[in-house]
Amino acid sequence: MSFSARFRQGMKAAIPIWIAFVPSSIAWGIAAQAHGLTLNEIILMSAWVYSGPAQFAVLVPLAEGKSAATVLIAGLLMNLRFLPMSTALAPFFRGVKRVPLLISSHVVSASSFIVPYLQFQKERAASGGSSVADGYGNLGFFVGIGATSFLVWVAGTAAGFGIALGFPPGFEEALKFILPGYFAGLLVAEMKGWTMPLICLASIVTAIPGALFNPGWGWLATAALIAVSGWVLEKWLSRA
Amino acid sequence: MAFSRLELIFILGLSALLLRALPQLFLVGKNFSENWDRLLRYLSYALLCGLISITLFMSGARFEAQAAPYRGVALAVTIAIAYKTKSAVTGMLVGMVLVLIFSWIR
Repeated sequence: MSFSARFRQGMKAAIPIWIAFVPSSIAWGIAAQAHGLTLNEIILMSAWVYSGPAQFAVLVPLAEGKSAATVLIAGLLMNLRFLPMSTALAPFFRGVKRVPLLISSHVVSASSFIVPYLQFQKERAASGGSSVADGYGNLGFFVGIGATSFLVWVAGTAAGFGIALGFPPGFEEALKFILPGYFAGLLVAEMKGWTMPLICLASIVTAIPGALFNPGWGWLATAALIAVSGWVLEKWLSRA
Repeated sequence: MAFSRLELIFILGLSALLLRALPQLFLVGKNFSENWDRLLRYLSYALLCGLISITLFMSGARFEAQAAPYRGVALAVTIAIAYKTKSAVTGMLVGMVLVLIFSWIR
């Protein structure tokens, strides 16, 4: 199937992602405005960083003028999850030249990864492995999802900025609750097993003493330590 | 070395692009083990939860002791509603309204 036909298929498959992106991008735009970022900075971050969790991770340190290393490491740690996502997609784009791969990889996100990945696996199973060879077709499907979701995300953040400007004074508390509240809700909806809730609870509790001990690095260090401890404990228990 | 906000955003975006692009350019046919995949997932969950905590309860290097109880209640209600309804937006909206009511009462 041609690139454009697969692109259109991808667009149709992306509709649920667009719907999910509308509230989260608006929430991000509102929160970023409430933290004092300008419209240019908000749009640049949404378009160039294009990662809701990383944008959330760097918002407070960036707005409060924390050290560049704190901002960059918080963003980097959050974006590390792109490595396995991108690695998992790579075999389905076999034969595609490097420049289109480089450009299209910008729209890899959790949502634009999972939908095409499951679709490619389904197609591969149905065709006995031949669909993997259709690298450009698969890229069209992926870009149909990724690029359109990207546009919704960027437009949504700009809309969020505009909405935040329209809020009357006295709503600052509620505006600042939007992003942490939204992410807490997202995390809860994804919880599975015992490890994740335990890691989340421990991180919430220990972030405060961590931040009091060292406002720049404390919460980052405690969160990383808890994630690694939970992972090691889970491995140890599964072996036992 | 001091960076402006725009420079920091640019560097962040560049690092994100590298993490997204490198596997597609150089790791075709390779796989991340499920173990490492899980560690990276746990890392991002822990960081998000740490962030939720410091965003709600800290102001710079200071713990907001007066606001912490009602923000904590709003967070707990948000989590309960999101869990029950499986909707992050519903949980967030209820939490927002609660925070607003508490802040007005206070």
